[in-house]
Amino acid sequence: MIAAPPPVPPSPADSAVVSAALTETNVRVNSDFRGDRIVLYGAVFDPQARPSDVVVIVRGPEQPVRIARKSRVAGLWVNSRPVVFQGAPGFYIAASTRPLDDIARFGVLRRLEAGVDHLAINAPAEQRTESRYGVQDVVVSRLGADYLDWRNAVVRLKTAQHLYDVNEHGVRFVDKGLFRAEIPLPAEAPIGRYDVRILLFQDGQPVAEKTRTLTVEKVGVERGLYLWAHRRPWSYGLAAMAFALAAGWAASSAFRRD
Amino acid sequence: MDLYLPIAEVSVNAPLLVALGALVGFISGMFGIGGGFLMTPVLVFLGIPPAVAVASMSNHVAASSMSSVISYSRKRSVDFRMGGVLASGGVVGAVVGVELFRWLRLLGQADLVVALSYLIFLGIIGGLMFWESVGAILRRRRNAPPPPRRDRRPPWLYGLPLKLRFPRSRLYISVIPPIALGAFVGVLSAIMGVGGGFILVPAMVYILRMPASVVVGTSLFQIIITTALTGVLQAGRNQTVDILLATLLLVGGVIGAQLGARASSRFRAEELRALLALIVLCVGLRMGLGLFFTPHEAFVLMSGSGG
Repeated sequence: MIAAPPPVPPSPADSAVVSAALTETNVRVNSDFRGDRIVLYGAVFDPQARPSDVVVIVRGPEQPVRIARKSRVAGLWVNSRPVVFQGAPGFYIAASTRPLDDIARFGVLRRLEAGVDHLAINAPAEQRTESRYGVQDVVVSRLGADYLDWRNAVVRLKTAQHLYDVNEHGVRFVDKGLFRAEIPLPAEAPIGRYDVRILLFQDGQPVAEKTRTLTVEKVGVERGLYLWAHRRPWSYGLAAMAFALAAGWAASSAFRRD
Repeated sequence: MDLYLPIAEVSVNAPLLVALGALVGFISGMFGIGGGFLMTPVLVFLGIPPAVAVASMSNHVAASSMSSVISYSRKRSVDFRMGGVLASGGVVGAVVGVELFRWLRLLGQADLVVALSYLIFLGIIGGLMFWESVGAILRRRRNAPPPPRRDRRPPWLYGLPLKLRFPRSRLYISVIPPIALGAFVGVLSAIMGVGGGFILVPAMVYILRMPASVVVGTSLFQIIITTALTGVLQAGRNQTVDILLATLLLVGGVIGAQLGARASSRFRAEELRALLALIVLCVGLRMGLGLFFTPHEAFVLMSGSGG
């Protein structure tokens, strides 16, 4: 019996390459911002024209999530102690040419954090290490067996707010080697720097990657007000209140003349 | 026409918010209440983060109260001295309440306390007020004489030291009950995100026994002072005041308050009270009964990272 030859690593000359560009790299949030759609175009260069899959992952700035569970206490539905999940992006979308599970195996997706189920979200404050069955430093979570319920709830609630999404057919080949993806950005999307990763899969393995960045920033009046409110909060508060009282006084005077 | 709010970081329908401000302002001017107990739940329902809704609303309440207090003071129906005494208690209460609320948010129990406060306080006050005013209306319809007023003023109000004369209210009482009342309302207002008029008005009528003609104006005057402080505190400590949201609400609010203050003179006092009682009861039940129903979603995301 002849052993199969070991797989030959592709030489740089004939390896596949992916290239991509965003049609918009700077999302400007001003007073009429109601969300946006970012279009991404890209191309796969593969001399051997092997079957390829493309996954586009957009990840917003990290935002810890505080979540509580309601339970019944004496007839009332009461929140539990809140649990903080770290490592959760404020925005996350994974768009692909096929369902992610068809493109690559669990382990590969997990390593790349591709798909909401594979995000590295955890609740470090709930974890502690202990010895179990003679094994030292076993990480256990105080959330116990419910841990997955909690984690799923984070994803479910974020998805309901349109902040997390998985689009199994969000990347489409429009021509030979040329693909297009559309990323819907809701008005609630957090401000900050977004990382866009474009992954090329062949045979269940990532073979090429490109990274692009997208900035969501407030501009104009919105930016001015936001900065004022955060840098000089007391003067902002006093001015806002003075304006409110003046408006009340003005309305009263205006109506008196009638 | 949609508008993006810089602090709340959501996009809202501007005309809807102006109309909402006008409606709440109208009710505020009519009954001498801040209207926060109506506005806060609606804003949260519209998707504005609760912390921003509560904070920005204090600017709106201050503006519409300012607008109607000027009208009332022209009619000489504001007891500034009583208002000042109430507000001195209210200021202490508001500061304590803001800290208490931060602590409750940290524990994740703010929602529960808010819902229970709405249910208990709005339920009791709405119920009592409704009972009393319907009784008064029925008696008038039957041309029955008003019930004899036993002991017009509770004696304990007279036994306390530090008496002060309140000429406009025709009262000579200790300042301790008004200060305590103001402090209590201040704490509640910070926790519930309201001005507290719905508690002040009945308390001034039934406990302090102030003449009905000065109650509304005086309540509004104390609300201006308390909410102005709360608004500045919220902006300074939590950066949660959205000036654009407040502006949208108060544009409608100041006009609505004027119309409300005018409309109030066309109704009888007890009918007005019955109507207010109904509104208060409905909001209290709507906010509180949710605690008893099985929620669709067992988990809730909490706003803020807990800092």
